[in-house]
Amino acid sequence: MPPSWKDNHALFLIVVGLFAWLVPGAGHFALDERRRAGVIFVAIVLTFLIGLYVGSIGVIDPVGAKSWYAAQIMNSPVVFLLGRVSTGGDYPVYGRPNEIGQIYTSIAGLLNLLCIVNAIYMAHLQAVEGTGD
Amino acid sequence: MQIDTNPASMLWLLPLVASIAIVYKATKVRTIRPRSFIRECAILFGSIMVFIIVAALILYAVAWLVTQQLPNILG
Repeated sequence: MPPSWKDNHALFLIVVGLFAWLVPGAGHFALDERRRAGVIFVAIVLTFLIGLYVGSIGVIDPVGAKSWYAAQIMNSPVVFLLGRVSTGGDYPVYGRPNEIGQIYTSIAGLLNLLCIVNAIYMAHLQAVEGTGD
Repeated sequence: MQIDTNPASMLWLLPLVASIAIVYKATKVRTIRPRSFIRECAILFGSIMVFIIVAALILYAVAWLVTQQLPNILG
């Protein structure tokens, strides 16, 4: 039987981390933690969507707000596409809606970073327990 | 969306704190059972809110001292 991607420890960790970044909670879903994945997905996606609702996609500003963008990109690569759309300047937002929208979307990204690290750690523990080390 | 710069706008932090509590607990608990998970999230939410309120009161006291009392002391 050919070795699967789960047998290669490093590749397994990288794939779990990538899944967790692509879709919030997908890393935990790949580890059969369905309930945990569902809770993480709903919480992070809702937080991000609230931020977009308050401030529009104009809060994703890869040019004028690089540090916020660095946190927002942790949500998913989809944020990269949203940033490309908002760079055109068609979605200006100022004041409190801009602040609150940036905070919500960035906190969602940082929470997803926590979940990515947690998924990789759980994958490592699963692999180590599986080999009996 | 219209959000005024008044004290009511601070209420926007409540859903954020809830989200932080839920995601943090989701990564920490061994198994997710609805009742115990909700209880643990509620406890963490309450703890964070207590710390935020205490910090806000301390900052308000410092601002009051600096803006109201310090000019009187310095004459």
